[in-house]
Amino acid sequence: MILLLAMTVGPAIFLIYSSLHNIQMFGGESRFVGLRNFQELLTDAGFHHSLLVTLAFVAIAVAIELVIGVALAMALAPKTRANGVAATLLLLPFAVTPVVSAMVFKQLIDPNYGWVNYYLSKVGLLPQNLDWLANPSTAWIALVALDVWQWTPFVALIILAGRQTLPQECYEAASVDGSGPWQTFRYITLPMLTPFLAIAVVLRSIQAFKTFDSFQVLTGGGPGDSTEIINLGIYRTALQSFQIGAASAVGLVFLLILSALVPLLLRVVGRNAEPEKG
Amino acid sequence: MTTHSNFSGLPRYAGRSLLWLALLLAMVPIVFLVITSLKPEGVTRTVPPTWLFDPTIENYSSVLSTGAGSSVTFGRLLFNSAAVSIGAVILTIAVAVPAAYALTLKEFRRSKGVSSWILSTYMFPPIVAVIPLFIIAGNIGAIDTYPVLIIPYAAFNLPIAIWILRSSLESIPIEVQEAALVDGANRRQIVWHILTPLLMPAVATAGIISLILSWNEFLLALSLTRAAAKTSPVGVQEFTGLYGTQWGNLTAASCMIAAPIVVCVLVLRRRVVSGLAFGAVK
Repeated sequence: MILLLAMTVGPAIFLIYSSLHNIQMFGGESRFVGLRNFQELLTDAGFHHSLLVTLAFVAIAVAIELVIGVALAMALAPKTRANGVAATLLLLPFAVTPVVSAMVFKQLIDPNYGWVNYYLSKVGLLPQNLDWLANPSTAWIALVALDVWQWTPFVALIILAGRQTLPQECYEAASVDGSGPWQTFRYITLPMLTPFLAIAVVLRSIQAFKTFDSFQVLTGGGPGDSTEIINLGIYRTALQSFQIGAASAVGLVFLLILSALVPLLLRVVGRNAEPEKG
Repeated sequence: MTTHSNFSGLPRYAGRSLLWLALLLAMVPIVFLVITSLKPEGVTRTVPPTWLFDPTIENYSSVLSTGAGSSVTFGRLLFNSAAVSIGAVILTIAVAVPAAYALTLKEFRRSKGVSSWILSTYMFPPIVAVIPLFIIAGNIGAIDTYPVLIIPYAAFNLPIAIWILRSSLESIPIEVQEAALVDGANRRQIVWHILTPLLMPAVATAGIISLILSWNEFLLALSLTRAAAKTSPVGVQEFTGLYGTQWGNLTAASCMIAAPIVVCVLVLRRRVVSGLAFGAVK
């Protein structure tokens, strides 16, 4: 616990200190600049942009993962052997090291040699030489697709675990009352799954805010700065241009924004993880 | 058994086909990875893609025998990854077990607040810690050593590990401990002979989660290592530039990085999913 304290509070104090100073890594002493780092940050168009794209990325990726995840979990709910095999296969993307999957995606969508371009252009869905990562909108499609590929299984398996705890009686009652499949799903399955949906959404959102690997490997923030999410921005400001003060300010603001998610996390995980209620 | 069918007839078959189609699509990147790693260099990047070839393990042996392009060999990268991950797992467990036990004690009046606080540290984005870590490590000359990765990894794994262990400890009925007390056991004996054996499955879950998270970690390893302690995800990422078109080597290396974790996850799938969800789903 002391370790944890040291690891979280220590850096936070350091961040506050350095965000108030104008620290350059090489040459030049640090001096107190007050809130100027924050002032520059809050009026900086680049920061607004990366904040916006980060939020958009998290919202879109998590929404898609949730929809596909629920659909997969519903399809996999009956305990048959085929479903067991399917659930195991489903785990594979989730198990692959994120950096490796990002590199595999990069090769798959390579404009000259990639499988995706070759086969999709064969059936006429794509122009042969589409360079996914050269255009902001297609680069975003690639990044979201990678995140969805990697993390939908996690969402699906949480919801599947939830689905299998639901009592059978409700479904029998519903079918006696003449409820159709959609009605059953809408009025019985979905409301009872709410706690599990909440767990999936909150955990996934937190993880998505921390995404770094795929952006670094796939686009490096490009083309231009179109896919520069906050994580990447902090990394580049701090460790490539060595403007520690400015980067600390971004980090601190990011931390404050993320703190808004803490109560949600506590509510969702804190309550459901109590063994007697879980 | 939940074998009732929500959907019947045509929509049901359409749904099943869609499911298998989705799974098939999901397998494409993995198939690509494995197949390319087994292709002889020369047919790895042909257009159209080559499907018929003599499988070879030359990519694997060449990656392992030659350097990985940098000053460090790929075997060394794998060794570093293993050393750092195992170190982090040991440190995580060593800290998490006493911490989780403390949180379940009655004397720990404020333990509710402390537990919540521990959970909330899961929010802490690693990128925010990188800057101070980088500077502190630089000042004490710890950049590119094992501890500079092991300690932060353990710290970032702790929220999940403590939470998993705490839920497991709380699910052990208090009567078990009371029975031991009646039989004349003291607290130390209770901890050693009663709680420890019952806690082992949760320790295994927490350990495997820490192992996966540490092995796959990229950001801290990228920022805090240069050569001697560089881990394999960072090393393999550098293949792209250095190896140019040698996709065989790159994919062989990727397979070797991903394989241990894939095996772990497949073998222990329920544990992994429930662990990553903080034990909130069983």
